[in-house]
Amino acid sequence: MADTAHINTDDHEVDSGHGEHESTGIENRKLGMWVFLSSEFMFFGALISNYLLFKGRDFTGFSGITLIYPRELYDIPFTSISSFVLLMSSLTMVLAHDALVSGDQNRTRVWIAATGMLGMVFIGGQFFEFTEFIHAGMTISSNPAASAFYMLTGFHGAHVFLGIVMLMSLWGISRRQGGLTEEQGLNLELVGLYWHFVDIIWIVIFTIVYLIP
Amino acid sequence: MAAHNEEHYPHPTPKQYVQIAVFLGALTALEVGLYYLEIGVDSIDTAVTAPMLILLALIKFLVVVAWYMHLRFEKPLLSKFFTGGAILALVLYSATLIFLGAIAVGV
Repeated sequence: MADTAHINTDDHEVDSGHGEHESTGIENRKLGMWVFLSSEFMFFGALISNYLLFKGRDFTGFSGITLIYPRELYDIPFTSISSFVLLMSSLTMVLAHDALVSGDQNRTRVWIAATGMLGMVFIGGQFFEFTEFIHAGMTISSNPAASAFYMLTGFHGAHVFLGIVMLMSLWGISRRQGGLTEEQGLNLELVGLYWHFVDIIWIVIFTIVYLIP
Repeated sequence: MAAHNEEHYPHPTPKQYVQIAVFLGALTALEVGLYYLEIGVDSIDTAVTAPMLILLALIKFLVVVAWYMHLRFEKPLLSKFFTGGAILALVLYSATLIFLGAIAVGV
């Protein structure tokens, strides 16, 4: 940009208009987000592995164990719709980013709000699913398979919830200021990356946990 | 936006984003269809459906990462970080699960 002052030093470049760039030429915060998301694979990998380890185990004969397994209770049509909703929230997220790039602040707010609402629908569905499972007798302490299921899907839901909080914060800021500044635009891009990551983790969970016996 | 200095290729248009979403939705419908084939009256073997379900999930995963997360338009360093983390987690946990007997391997 014409009004942006660039300051070069020996080991890094500072772009005073856009934030700091390391010698990689990538925004530090953006690079940090990608590294964070990369590390999240280890986190969710541990939870998915934990579930795979226990889902097929036979706990007959163990004291204090309730022999009801997540697989017996899955409602695939319901979870499929939830998955579709989360997938479509990725579409509204990129449309929000696209609207911001186009300079259309109103449309940006609409798509941010739509993404947050779709996320809320997903969380609501998960809450409903958990409630149904608990009524059916499968609680987090029923058996190790149930614990692993609640841990995995619960932590994913917590990630979605955090994404909703960040989206609604950006929506509120945009509404109060009449639009997002360039700096806040980067925040929207970072929240978008986080949101899409939560979506791809659900793609994996939906297949491995729900669809494959 | 700040990231524009780093992106050298044109991003998809809103119409293309919608087309990608339709494609992702169709793959999800296909996955659910496979699930019902698996458990249905004329059921087919899990050994057939499981690899297909994993393949479909992998395609959806890659499409979201490449197009919605714009990784195909970004600098290669970001791809290296991201795929590095994914591969490390996949190898580590696969080895752990095989070692603990949760995944059967042909002997």
